[in-house]
Amino acid sequence: MTMTEKRPPRTLGTGHDTFWEWCGKGELRLQKCTSCGGINWPVRQTCEFCGQAEFFWEAMSGRGKVVSWCSFHQDYYGSVMPRPYDCILVELEEGVLFLSNPHGFGFDDMVLGMDVAVQFIDCEDDAGVFKLPVFGREALSNSG
Amino acid sequence: MPPAAPEFSRKASIVGVGESDYQADYRAQRKPPEGYQPPTTEGLALLAFERALADSGLTRGDIDGLTGSFTYGGPPPAELASLLGVGPRWNISNGNIMAGPLPVVCAAIAEGKADCVAMVYAVNSRTAGRVFGGATHPAGSDSDEGYGTPPSYYYYHPWGWSSQAAHWAMIAAHYMAKYGLREEDLGAVAQQVRNHASRNPNAVMQTPFTIEEYMASRYIVRPLHLLDICLVNDGAVCLIVRRADLARDMAKVPVDVAGWGEAKIKHSKLDQMVRQQLRPQLEEAGGQAFAMAGLSQADIGHFEGYDAGSMHLINQIEGYGFVGQGEGVSFCQAGEMDLTGRLPSNTEGGNLSASYMHGWSQVAETVRQMRGEAGARQVAGLNYAMTSLAQTDQAHPILYARGGI
Repeated sequence: MTMTEKRPPRTLGTGHDTFWEWCGKGELRLQKCTSCGGINWPVRQTCEFCGQAEFFWEAMSGRGKVVSWCSFHQDYYGSVMPRPYDCILVELEEGVLFLSNPHGFGFDDMVLGMDVAVQFIDCEDDAGVFKLPVFGREALSNSG
Repeated sequence: MPPAAPEFSRKASIVGVGESDYQADYRAQRKPPEGYQPPTTEGLALLAFERALADSGLTRGDIDGLTGSFTYGGPPPAELASLLGVGPRWNISNGNIMAGPLPVVCAAIAEGKADCVAMVYAVNSRTAGRVFGGATHPAGSDSDEGYGTPPSYYYYHPWGWSSQAAHWAMIAAHYMAKYGLREEDLGAVAQQVRNHASRNPNAVMQTPFTIEEYMASRYIVRPLHLLDICLVNDGAVCLIVRRADLARDMAKVPVDVAGWGEAKIKHSKLDQMVRQQLRPQLEEAGGQAFAMAGLSQADIGHFEGYDAGSMHLINQIEGYGFVGQGEGVSFCQAGEMDLTGRLPSNTEGGNLSASYMHGWSQVAETVRQMRGEAGARQVAGLNYAMTSLAQTDQAHPILYARGGI
């Protein structure tokens, strides 16, 4: 059993809800433009590359490499998350940069280009419980 | 914003500058004296205007244009004119941060809308308790068309990621790993800017610090320390801008606005910001400004970059082509951003140590430097200078020439 972590609020609504529904099924899927093939993240209503409004929810491999990282000491969220906590920027195999949290490792372990893989942890915000995509140093079966 | 067109170059000159008492106001807010009344946007604006007018040697009757720029709200145009006691024929709200307002006024003067414009900017960020991160920008607060809040200010809340500081931290961690730099190395940037501020009696923070003291200061978003992140303070700036041919016989040296540029990230923000340090935008906007002014990097004797974070000053020095990629920090460590270096930078103490006026106080500093009025921090022999407002996704450089050159 894992603890459900409290988190600051997600952006919800058209498109955003679909992203989180896929996460709930343990899948990282992002919007791929049916016109130009560009992968959009964060979720958009129109493609940031070509302006068209039709997307396919493309499954990501879930693997990527660490591009950057930081550790929050300042409390920006009224102590919702225990500090310090770390964030990472991952380049997914599909080329998109995905901002997330490291899971099972931290700031002092970080190396540029380190291999990571997505996993999903149980979280809760004001809108309810959800599964949050985070990244571990190797592929694990989805926790939850 | 008007295009970076050569026909707008050197058509308008800055002939007056006024600023509020950043240091005294900050100190009063930290330790309020009995009966203390915090400054208002209106009071700060009026003070800066009266100082700028006195500095220019002009009178209220000479002011036929007025613009107001209030980042967090302020009086609308007619109220502002009444507050300042002027009757302009051209009077507009003019954006807020120094990302367009000066080019807008220069173009208006070139087009005959006004001959002498008072540009007023004021913020009471500190009194209003303005914070920069977390719930400042609520989740789901925007559409995707780019007129409002950038998604990077709110979209990553569920991962605990927000704030301008976090943007600079992500850039810095990548940069430091890529070029093999330590926190101590980056500390030289904030230290250099503070050393400048120690020579500016109106700077909020004037006490120099050692690298040991830098390392001991708390993290905000690691790897960045408190001293890597800009101030939050109240203040106002007024610039008096006059038609260049009318600015030539005045008591003080006019400072001509010679060029400007603008570029914004259109997609893939985190890649362009973190991995490329906004280089595509800085190069494009800088190229526009240099071409408009007929100048090059080698001409620039004084640079004022937007140091909302120490790392971002390095992004700009590199992105505008003053040094090569990855060389900005060692350039600073070698003293090249000091008063006698190759590119004296943020000589009043920047946003890090002097005052966080969204780029406006850096224009005022440029005018003082160009006139030779910068006192203990004066750069010798200046003819051309550059200011840069650069946010997490856009760049707005402006180039200046000593009047008559």
